[in-house]
Amino acid sequence: MKRKSWQDYQKEIADDHYYYARSCIRQNFFPGSEKLFIDMLHNDLGKDLLDDPKHSSCTGIGYHSDIVPLETIMTVVARQFALMGESGYENLVTSCITSFGVYTEILATWNEFPETEEKTRENLWKATRREFKKPASLAHTSDVVFHFREEIAAQAKKRLVNAATGEPLKVVEHIGCHYAKIFPKSGIGGSEFPYVLAGMVESWGGECIDYPERRHCCGFGFRNYLVQANRGYSIANSHKKLESMAPYKPDFIVANCPGCAMFLDKWQYAIAEMEGTTYGQNGHGIPVLTYEEMAGLVLGYDPWVLGMQMHQVNVEPLLDKMGIEYDPAAKYLGRNGKYIGKPESAVVNCCPTDTIYDIRE
Amino acid sequence: MKKKVIVIGGGVAGMQTALRLAEQGVCPVIIEKEAELGGKLRGWHVLFPSFTPAGEVLTQLRRRVNEGGIEVMTSTEVAGFTKESVTLADGRTLPCDSVVVASGFTLFDASIKEEYGYGIYDNVFTTVDIERMLNEGRVAKADGSRPRRIAFLHCVGSRDEKVCQRHCSKVCCITGVKQAMEMKQLFPEADVFNFYMDIRMFGPGYEEMYREAQQKYNIHFLRGRISEASPTIDGRVQIKAEDTLTGRPLRMSVDMLVLIVGMRANDDNEALAAGAGLNRAPSGFLAPRDMFLGNVKSNVDGIFYAGTITAPKNIGESLNEGIAAADAAAKYVGA
Amino acid sequence: MEDVRMKEGLHACMNCGVCTGVCPAAEFYNYDPRQIVSIVQTRDDGAIEDLLKSDTIWYCGECMSCRPRCPRGNTPGYVIQALRTLSQKLGFFVESEKGRQQLALKRIIGENILRTGYCIVPRLVKPDLHPEQGTVWKWIYDNDREIYGQFTPVYMREGAGALRRLDEGSLAEINEIFKVSGGSEMFDTIERHSDRKAREMGYEEGADQKYMMDVFLSNSNEHD
Repeated sequence: MKRKSWQDYQKEIADDHYYYARSCIRQNFFPGSEKLFIDMLHNDLGKDLLDDPKHSSCTGIGYHSDIVPLETIMTVVARQFALMGESGYENLVTSCITSFGVYTEILATWNEFPETEEKTRENLWKATRREFKKPASLAHTSDVVFHFREEIAAQAKKRLVNAATGEPLKVVEHIGCHYAKIFPKSGIGGSEFPYVLAGMVESWGGECIDYPERRHCCGFGFRNYLVQANRGYSIANSHKKLESMAPYKPDFIVANCPGCAMFLDKWQYAIAEMEGTTYGQNGHGIPVLTYEEMAGLVLGYDPWVLGMQMHQVNVEPLLDKMGIEYDPAAKYLGRNGKYIGKPESAVVNCCPTDTIYDIRE
Repeated sequence: MKKKVIVIGGGVAGMQTALRLAEQGVCPVIIEKEAELGGKLRGWHVLFPSFTPAGEVLTQLRRRVNEGGIEVMTSTEVAGFTKESVTLADGRTLPCDSVVVASGFTLFDASIKEEYGYGIYDNVFTTVDIERMLNEGRVAKADGSRPRRIAFLHCVGSRDEKVCQRHCSKVCCITGVKQAMEMKQLFPEADVFNFYMDIRMFGPGYEEMYREAQQKYNIHFLRGRISEASPTIDGRVQIKAEDTLTGRPLRMSVDMLVLIVGMRANDDNEALAAGAGLNRAPSGFLAPRDMFLGNVKSNVDGIFYAGTITAPKNIGESLNEGIAAADAAAKYVGA
Repeated sequence: MEDVRMKEGLHACMNCGVCTGVCPAAEFYNYDPRQIVSIVQTRDDGAIEDLLKSDTIWYCGECMSCRPRCPRGNTPGYVIQALRTLSQKLGFFVESEKGRQQLALKRIIGENILRTGYCIVPRLVKPDLHPEQGTVWKWIYDNDREIYGQFTPVYMREGAGALRRLDEGSLAEINEIFKVSGGSEMFDTIERHSDRKAREMGYEEGADQKYMMDVFLSNSNEHD
């Protein structure tokens, strides 16, 4: 896709020593991605990162469902800052877009309305006897991967190219609304042409697609998914995006936000079951990756070690395109190779009976 | 010996100022940064509301300046000035008895409104592009084909805090109506939509033109500002907006999206004003001494304003201000 | 309307509709964020009270797509957050179908935060309430220890890693934060008004599990 200079929107990303904040949704649906992020930083990039067992959710899903008041989420966030300071860290890196938006919004609100920061300090002291310093830097985990994209490219075992034709893979990058729509200057590339994922894709050999609904929300909409009665909103918005991107024949979608990655994956299943529509090639769905999974594949990690068996839409068509070796029989095994059965077949994965082992035929 | 007044800027206001100064027995010097006189008028095709060719007005003004033997320095940039002298970018200093600032405005750079993709999507244009294409005699989509659906968007770079342009640029509404009519003349089969918030038809004949656009040309006026533009797979432009009169969001694909760009203050106003001790309005344009009885005077005796240096204006108003500023300057130098 | 989000979110609206043009909720529901901002701007108490009791304020998905585009620097999404907070404080939320759903959100997400320190945990995403999660999710749910065990050493146990059980001390701190900062009070308020409304609607046991499931599941389909 064409874009103007993304350099207008850059931010300082710390080079080392991160305090890691886990994501409710990412650890639930993409635990392999969180593991990969830590492993990659430690092993492939030689960086220091603390995974502190004492930290918690930022409560952002509760906040954006309007049951957690602003004063409360500010205090929870302040506790994370306090824990970070007590551990001797000052660079916060969060694994969730909603959290990233929450942290950014709170820091901006404290700046604009200093009385709210004072009140938060009081609340935190009253509740925990802790005190906090604001972070020296705040980044989303994708910012950090972006920051090291060239180092990753230098160690690449696979590139985002079609192994048979040498053509770049066509990638839909989905950013997640709270990354830069709340504070455009806080995201690499800004809110209209974010570059955080596109930068990775381009460095690793792929090519991003611009399509009419590129900036549209995935449809999570907090209460609009969390309450069953409202889910029509959620699927309708994902549907709109999928319909809009499908004519460009993307090889995969990569999402910045763990919620988006999950919804764009799961709603493809629901749409296929309801209407029989699939958006990928040869009757398959479009594989939806997290950027950690994308980085992991490039670095040569095994897809099942990355947790890609936890996706509803099969990723094998993409693995085959990239020429990645994998063991089909190992996909759905438990710990230590234990056989635990396999998921029921689904329309989105086509070939209902032989999906699992014969996907490459 | 004649008094000398330097006119900074050789657009319509500057040329008119110089002509009037000469009539008053003052010796004017026009300093123009471009290679020729004419300013923004050089880029326009026909002028609202009469559809007078811009070239006619420009030729006349240039001819008069030429015939009047007025001294013109083109390709000359001003670095600073006081009422007694003008310093050029090359370091020369020209003494004078008074200065008239007629250095106009800057067109808003539409690419700053990133959500519309100007400079990225091939079929997103500005009104300036359309004037140029009309002058070149070839208005078409990027691939050379005829557009069947065209959308104009008003207020691009005007009335917009996000791009630090809070003011109304005044002439864009009528420009949008004029160009919509020209498009309809060229492409009678095309649907033309104007997305607006308010249609501000302040000049003589403007409201009549708006009515004609609706009644005779069947141009659709839709009250809502476009939220974003994006590319479609067939090279068109998808736009999203709200039709605020029905309260419903709408989405459509168009062959051409034309951004009606506004007028903003020149970047060098700040430094020039600081150097000469002049007041600026919050919009960045220079502030007249008084909005009623001193609107071509600055807060510094001996420095005067003509045209869009103080605010967006149309060509007629700029020409009139040239006369008013010249008279005020002539009186000041005692001519 | 002391909410800082109201100060930050609403300066003056010129009704251009840029917010509505990109609003995912406006495309799906009979919903227009511009009109909400416009009503709030009137400071007409009667009209605002009607809004607080309506379904309208509960349609927004808080994606904040409206925020970067507004030419007046407003954030309709912030205005909505402030209105929702007020609607709950005043007990008006129970007067609309969508508003009543706050009870389900409080019981599902809110209580889970106090219990686990996270908004969502795998056991919360029950396949029968989440058919859209698909066949793979059901397989994960049924084999959670085997599957999560490959990615975290501490699944539902204390220690560092994904999906760990938060230590008692940290959980106590989270609970205490909710107490001192108004979170618990908000939860109580939601329960209290829901209970009142449930009885008014004929639920003899008040806001019990049945009422909660009814608000979670029922959709009058009168929203578009």
